[in-house]
Amino acid sequence: MSVVADAPAGEGGTTGGAPGLENPGKAVRSESRERLLEFIERYALVVLFIATFVFFSLWSKTSGTFPHSQNIKNVLGNEAVTGILALAIMIPLVCGEFDFSVGNTAGLTQVLCAGFMARLGMPVALAVLIPIGIGAFIGLANGNTVARVGVNSLIVTLGISSVLLGIVEWYTGGQSIINNISTGLINLGSGQWFGLPRTIYYLAAAAIAVHYMLEHTPFGRYLYSIGSNRDAARLVGLPVERYVLLAFTLSGALAGVAGVLLVAYNGTGSPQVGTILDTLQALAAAYLGATAIKPGRFNVLGTMIAIFFLAYTVTGLSLAGVADWINNVFDGGALFLAVLVSTIIGRRRAGTA
Amino acid sequence: MNGAGGPGDQAASDPRAPAEHAVPTAGPPSGVALRIDHMSKTFPGTRALDDVCFEIRSGEIHALVGGNGSGKSTLIKILAGVYHADPGGSITVGDTTVAADHTTPAKARAMGLHFVHQNPGVFPALSVAENMVIGHGFDTRAGGSIKWRALRRQTQALLDRYEIQVRPETLVRALRPAERAMVAIARALQDQEGQHTGVLVLDEPTASLPRAEVVRLMGALNRFAAAGQTILFVSHRLDEVIDTAAQATVLRDGRLAGTLVGDGITEAKLIELIAGRALDHMYPAMPPVQSDEIVLEAKGLRGGPLAGVDFQLRRGEVLGIAGLLGSGRSELLKMIFGAYPIRSGALEFEGRPVKLRDIGDAMDLGIAYVPEDRSGEAAFLDQTLADNVVASSVGRYWRALRLRTRAMEADARSIIQTYFIRASSERQKMGTLSGGNQQKVIVARWLSRNPRVLLLDEPTQGVDVNARAEIYQLIRSAVEKGCSVLLVSSDFEELSHVADRAIVLRGGRVGAELRGADIEAVRLTELAFSTQEVAS
Repeated sequence: MSVVADAPAGEGGTTGGAPGLENPGKAVRSESRERLLEFIERYALVVLFIATFVFFSLWSKTSGTFPHSQNIKNVLGNEAVTGILALAIMIPLVCGEFDFSVGNTAGLTQVLCAGFMARLGMPVALAVLIPIGIGAFIGLANGNTVARVGVNSLIVTLGISSVLLGIVEWYTGGQSIINNISTGLINLGSGQWFGLPRTIYYLAAAAIAVHYMLEHTPFGRYLYSIGSNRDAARLVGLPVERYVLLAFTLSGALAGVAGVLLVAYNGTGSPQVGTILDTLQALAAAYLGATAIKPGRFNVLGTMIAIFFLAYTVTGLSLAGVADWINNVFDGGALFLAVLVSTIIGRRRAGTA
Repeated sequence: MNGAGGPGDQAASDPRAPAEHAVPTAGPPSGVALRIDHMSKTFPGTRALDDVCFEIRSGEIHALVGGNGSGKSTLIKILAGVYHADPGGSITVGDTTVAADHTTPAKARAMGLHFVHQNPGVFPALSVAENMVIGHGFDTRAGGSIKWRALRRQTQALLDRYEIQVRPETLVRALRPAERAMVAIARALQDQEGQHTGVLVLDEPTASLPRAEVVRLMGALNRFAAAGQTILFVSHRLDEVIDTAAQATVLRDGRLAGTLVGDGITEAKLIELIAGRALDHMYPAMPPVQSDEIVLEAKGLRGGPLAGVDFQLRRGEVLGIAGLLGSGRSELLKMIFGAYPIRSGALEFEGRPVKLRDIGDAMDLGIAYVPEDRSGEAAFLDQTLADNVVASSVGRYWRALRLRTRAMEADARSIIQTYFIRASSERQKMGTLSGGNQQKVIVARWLSRNPRVLLLDEPTQGVDVNARAEIYQLIRSAVEKGCSVLLVSSDFEELSHVADRAIVLRGGRVGAELRGADIEAVRLTELAFSTQEVAS
């Protein structure tokens, strides 16, 4: 009894009232506490982002360079490709599947886009569209193996990513493709619109499209249902295989877009770019994003915040003179922490049941 | 218990119900094996347990009963040391007393409390024998190698003692759910063999077992109790409580509602204590079948365990399907839903032969299916109640390139009202609802589509008494609208009250058919057993 009694709800002040009266007060109180907790969960990443931003802007080691508009724009422009890859990896994640091949798919479509122009003299439109189509095809092949044959997606896509890496090596002979790349394409990737790097607009467009698809179309909702309980999704009549296949195809196509954007942004097709490390960054952003805005659910806004949180933190650190290897440590650490936090959130939620 | 605590709403929480002394059970040591004193547990916002006191006599099977949210699982978890109770209570086993706010799993074990939880903690990838010793460690030779032969022999002996027909070297993965539960129980029982203190606590051991295996398991528990051991089991199945328990303690809203003893344990009394009021219409009067029109006809269905099943389902009829685990009851429903391959045979829907290529085809015909495994095959636990209700029909809210979320949620709200779902809002997460309310959501998901044929697989399994009565009402109102129902159930009492006709599946075929008043639980049980003899 004492536990209930020593926490009067403030209003009313009925000491030792009937248990029926104590409970509503308690319920309201814990509900508001619950709401506060939920608010913190939702915006913790945003607050953390702002805090690191402020920190690097004020810290004597970085205050000269970090808050500079050029630096801010650079990071924005730089992250477009990673951002699109994060969107790509998110779509299969929503329906409970991994696509570890997005980074390498971008790598391959990148050298193909450059190669088609440089070696085959293809018109830009074709050199852009065919690699995106190839990306979609890679996704389709992944999805087919996963959805129809039922092989574990982690293994399939990890294997494929190594195959893709090999093809890139073979196609480029280890050399970057530099010459004869359409200047029109490079202009699209390197200029500015309204004072912001153009690439950021492409990312924004892709993010809005994916957000719309996931949240505002039946297809997106069904993907979440499949991710929540595949057997149940099948037994309410959803065409699970087809949707999973489609999710992988979209993921591959988006990775293809990222590959083309790499050519536009860098002006080259490099065998060094677009690897499993990019996949890991994308994965980190998607998981970190799932701890924010809509905790416990992969969501586009959260992923975007996560992308820029990771990017600005890494930039701040490197401006402070921290060695380059910190990047990998940081991305990997962020992935680790994000998965840890989202698991804890999930467990806490289950605990309230 | 007559006239004592029951009717007066909350007055019933007097600690030791008078009935406890009313019928002194003759025989075994009259000592107390487990006593719970003044146990309370407060969660933020709710009082899960409120000053609960009761005792369990040694050498007896004691049932702990109550609706969802009555506090029984909380009580078990405190006993197991998973939760800590509020200060002030105590738990006594034999002559050891532990403060209820300081329990730990280790203390529970040391006191002689052994648990088998609803989800039996068996390891699917290990053999039965390995599962038996996993908690104790393997017996090894000097070099550290495991004494496999001795292990197999001991396990075989243990399995024989409890009449569990599995082989020690079989992987648990290959066992049926019923057998897994029995293995888990045997594993817990072995700890208690030969000791005469301690209590075996079973948390809904029969929730996933078919009737016939429940009987066998209860038989094993009876033998064990006769040998002087004490068993506390939590159950939703009133018939097994009535058949097996020497005493039954009922919790309601975290308080002790009363304890029934021996012959005083009747269904009416239990329901009254569980629900807090006499449920005079646990089973609603079902309307008579109005038409002879045949909606669904199966002709020689084969596939999986089915070897040629024939039946006819009329409009507005509830056709019960009884049979043992493995008799193909669930497969039959899945076949009709297009979710299980039909090897041969034909299905006719409203007189026309139909070929179901997939679930979509079945849904287009107006067939709906509530699976047996709620959390595995029906519920999206991390999604909202609204998401769960509209799960298959989000497309309906897609207009002018946008999802009309508000319309969706409004519909979900009205469904919450219509289908007696108790939830704070349509945005509540499915996983935070009680089992009974989850089941109502699943039923609502399908009934809101106005199906012509409703396939129900164990719709009231693991559901408390109140929710059960509500689910029957939902079935009734669907039937009144002309929906036909195929009802698979291991609860023969339920079949006898709800079904207009019942068929018993035997050896992959329809082995018997009962109509109207002939559908009796006793008769169905007989048929189920004869089925088993024929099969083996």
